[in-house]
Amino acid sequence: MRNLTRLLIAASFPALLLANLSMAAETGSALKNDSIRFEPFADAKIIGKFNRGDKVEILSKKGAWLQVKTTKNTGWVRLLSIKRGSSASGNQAAGALAVASGRAGTGQVVSTTGIRGLSAEELKAAKFNEAEVKAMESYTQSASQGKQFADAGGLQTVTFPNLKAVSGGSK
Amino acid sequence: MMQLNTKSIKQNALISAVLASLLASLSITSSAFDLQGAIKDAAKKQIEEQLDQSPDSQQAAPPETTSSAVTTTAETPQATINWKNPSKQEEIALGREITGNLLGAAPLVKDDALQKYVNSVGRWVASQSERPDLPWHFGVIESDDLNAFAAPGGYVMITKGLYRKMSNEAQLAGVLGHEIGHVVAKHQLKVLQKQQLLNMGAGLLNKKVAKDNKFISKAIGSGAEISARSLDKSAEFEADRLGMSYATRSGYEAFGLSDILQIMGQTGKNDSSVALLFKTHPHPDERLATLGDAVGNRLDNVKAGKTLENRFYTLKN
Repeated sequence: MRNLTRLLIAASFPALLLANLSMAAETGSALKNDSIRFEPFADAKIIGKFNRGDKVEILSKKGAWLQVKTTKNTGWVRLLSIKRGSSASGNQAAGALAVASGRAGTGQVVSTTGIRGLSAEELKAAKFNEAEVKAMESYTQSASQGKQFADAGGLQTVTFPNLKAVSGGSK
Repeated sequence: MMQLNTKSIKQNALISAVLASLLASLSITSSAFDLQGAIKDAAKKQIEEQLDQSPDSQQAAPPETTSSAVTTTAETPQATINWKNPSKQEEIALGREITGNLLGAAPLVKDDALQKYVNSVGRWVASQSERPDLPWHFGVIESDDLNAFAAPGGYVMITKGLYRKMSNEAQLAGVLGHEIGHVVAKHQLKVLQKQQLLNMGAGLLNKKVAKDNKFISKAIGSGAEISARSLDKSAEFEADRLGMSYATRSGYEAFGLSDILQIMGQTGKNDSSVALLFKTHPHPDERLATLGDAVGNRLDNVKAGKTLENRFYTLKN
């Protein structure tokens, strides 16, 4: 399932895919210090550690866990402890795209390629558009319509209290 | 405008001193929604009183009075707002004004099926929030930037550029959930309240400013400027936590929002499509790490939710 999703993401962004061929064996880097476990469970045996910034190879995904390979171990880590893709190649890819579309550098559209940005200046200069607000409001769905839509997709509510801020997290 | 003379310097010092002492005395009360408003209001009254007296005499806060400079102005047909404690209707009117301005910069994508789809997902997620009673409105706007916006009262917009980065409904639910979180926590509303109450404080010597700030259209400033402004980092982290919580409660795969944060994080810093996003939000890496800290093992026993890529609406262009 996860691989399929990744494939879909890749398929919809051929430009990024081309620029990121190295992602075929997807790389990542640690966002924080964390443990590597033998299995994708919180109480599974710890077989290694990694530090923030360490490079890893991502092998697979299972629920909230990623299977990764470091220079020393292969095991499971929490999904949100890893930044996917190597930042270096990501920047290069995006940089190349920006140059290709004439949007490099200033944060302003520098050529008329039909690409439309939304800068702070444009937002500030914006004028109220009543017709567009009315159009937006015309699409409004009621709570019961939302419920029907959820039922059609087989979505079922889950009991899950709001996440709370953690002080002194493992940065 | 205040003239820079000895009197105004003294007044400024007085305002600071009063605010500081009130903040200190109220710092234990952290939960009150209108804390900012209450402080400013109390400060304002105190300031008013003291301006009428010798500027050197420091006095305790006067007893509660029933009217203020703002509420005694005459009624007019224009939409006005009680900044100290805006009603739900006022909050919605404010959000509508901001939304109209934002849509003036970037109109809706002309695709009825897309807009209806996004409203369906958004409405279901919003129903799992603490404010299911708001009339929630969602829209995809014409921009290739990666960004999303929330305005008070239940207005949420995402750019076409951001939508294009998504590949399933859980990701859309996560992103909409983040914006719903901003509305529920009243992050933008609080920024506006704070600003207006400070303006009113400063405008006490200028009746026109105080009067004008009652009007919604005047109060939100120029265009959709408010939408280009940063919130506190902590507000963004809170919206991430709320967004993930709402999407999870809605039955979606919990990591939709973090998928999109991953994609944002892979976009180069110099790419103009993320210029405003990166200027107004903490870096996606920091958001992922902070969200990860909050999640910890909390999702370990939650049944895997749905991604629903099969019915994810595909853009026509």
